[in-house]
Amino acid sequence: MIESKVQVQRVEMREAIRQALDEEMARDDRVVILGEEVGEYQGAYKVTKGMLEKWGSRRVIDTPITESGFVGLAIGAALTGLVIPVVELMSFNFSFVAADQIISNAAKMHYMSGGRFSVPIVMRGPNGAAAQVSSQHSHCVEAIYSNLPGLKIVAPSNAYDAKGLLKSSIRAGEPILFLESELSYGEQMEIPSEEYLVPLGRARVVREGVHFTLITHGRMVAVALRAVEQLQQRGIFAELLDLRTLKPLDISTIAHSVRKTHRVLLVEEGHAYGGIAAEMAYQIMEHCFDFLDAPMIRICQKETPMPYSMVLEKETLPNVERILRGAEDLLKRCR
Amino acid sequence: MGRAALLRSQSPAWWAERLREMLRIRHFEVRAEEAYRQGEIGGFFHSYTGQEPIQCCVVSIFGVKNWYITSYRCHALALLLGATPDELMAELFGRAPGNAKGRGGSMHFFTERLLGGFGIVGGQIPIATGAAFAVKYQGNDDECAICFLGDGAVAQGTFHESLNLASLWDLPCLYVIENNHWGMGTPVQKAVAVPRLAEDKAGGYGMKGYTINGLDFFACYEGFLRIAQEMKKERRPVLVEVLTERLRGHSISDAERYRSKDEIALLRENDPLIGFSQELIHGGILSQEEYDTIDREEKMRVIRAVQYAEKAPWPDPSELEEDVF
Repeated sequence: MIESKVQVQRVEMREAIRQALDEEMARDDRVVILGEEVGEYQGAYKVTKGMLEKWGSRRVIDTPITESGFVGLAIGAALTGLVIPVVELMSFNFSFVAADQIISNAAKMHYMSGGRFSVPIVMRGPNGAAAQVSSQHSHCVEAIYSNLPGLKIVAPSNAYDAKGLLKSSIRAGEPILFLESELSYGEQMEIPSEEYLVPLGRARVVREGVHFTLITHGRMVAVALRAVEQLQQRGIFAELLDLRTLKPLDISTIAHSVRKTHRVLLVEEGHAYGGIAAEMAYQIMEHCFDFLDAPMIRICQKETPMPYSMVLEKETLPNVERILRGAEDLLKRCR
Repeated sequence: MGRAALLRSQSPAWWAERLREMLRIRHFEVRAEEAYRQGEIGGFFHSYTGQEPIQCCVVSIFGVKNWYITSYRCHALALLLGATPDELMAELFGRAPGNAKGRGGSMHFFTERLLGGFGIVGGQIPIATGAAFAVKYQGNDDECAICFLGDGAVAQGTFHESLNLASLWDLPCLYVIENNHWGMGTPVQKAVAVPRLAEDKAGGYGMKGYTINGLDFFACYEGFLRIAQEMKKERRPVLVEVLTERLRGHSISDAERYRSKDEIALLRENDPLIGFSQELIHGGILSQEEYDTIDREEKMRVIRAVQYAEKAPWPDPSELEEDVF
């Protein structure tokens, strides 16, 4: 048997994303980067470091602070099929300024035109909480946008997935919101040096387990993993799923796990009301009702705008302690 | 150019073709409105009646091979860019062979080069700017993007953002404000702080701005001819205001309580379609008989389109969820 040794590199998540952009730009001349501070400034979070120097101002385009303008422009350029824009939103909170363009144009044009036009565009950037940036810079947007047929929503939790999923997103030929996390950009991981893709629409089993299924996405995967490891020391084995793509939801992987463990704990960085966890709970009820041994539990951000104070911020977000309490409750519950 | 010289600058057949286009649009709107009142067509319905010279002139001068973007008042532009009355009428009737498979309706028509019929006031302006970006990105120097918007859209933020970007980045985009003086029922002077929508605004973006009389086909033609030549040379965005009148309400459900019957009657007397056809006849470009023939042919064509739409199959509900992604 021949063992092929995979060459690996240790990179931060921001570098993995940069490599995805770089490789896709090399592959297809239509791919451009567009956004605030992506060029000269090297990116607000240095994701596009060195890209202007390498690709020039034709393909790495600094925009003024004009979200409705440049997001709409990118959608229009994508509609022609002549350009595949990767738009960096410095924060996904700024996508609200461009909401009409994203919602009325990007999401709907393929369907509404009878399938005549497509909108091959990726909008990417940090989503959710960072370090004490208060109410207007901390919102998790996935629940809002997942209510709109026509948008696919991707949220990588680590460098490997970030690179592979972004490459797949750029090739998808449809509008994709690619949600990153400011707090994860510096996290390091070994990833292959060779090119690879991660398919859209498939969740990943992070940890196999038997006692309950813990489902989450994005930055919360790392938080949940810490809780899962603590539980393991107490002899409780949770199966941890990372959604990776929030829409379309990989209900097949979810159902497979739930039918094995019979209990579900949902963790979401965003708010509880109308959230991703709420949708998942409904779909799990639809597909796995007879397999559930207890009502599901969700641990989400509490129903307040994000407060500034460190103490309050910690309290409103899901954290290891809240997840552990949720797990204990779940295991105590009977049908 | 004097009127006689202008008429000589194109062949009689060319002028007759423009008249044919205007009549096709007019008959289309009239018959569609009838069908709407009979309950065959639903949703919103915005007639282009009275504004025909603008898009007729622009498409005939610039040509089909550009990217076109407009608002929900989009029937005429789709016809001018090659969509058939059959497919458009079928779309209005919500039928399967409709222009957008019965998914778009009156406000959302498309052709190979018409990116839409956009339903949100001002929402199409960044889209057009992006099409101009794409044209420049690919070095397609014989093309441009052409964006039609109403006077109501001038007050939207997307107008400002788009013009700023287009000028900043030298994007070949023609922005045509069709000023019919009413944003639904609000007069333009109560919506925009300056009287001249292009000339007063363009300077703030370092762009050129022009005003054109859209009620006179020939003035419209000459104006856009000059602008086309300029854009070809300069490859820069241009802002144009065309003064026009919509002879119908904002939409079909508009009772027009904001303007008097006398005002509307006066507008009808200045119907640019009548003015244009009379000048062609008096100028010896075509005879009354030729006019009658074209008029009858286009009327019949649209009547046949209504008959086609009535008989066209409904969309198959099993296809409801296709093309979402």
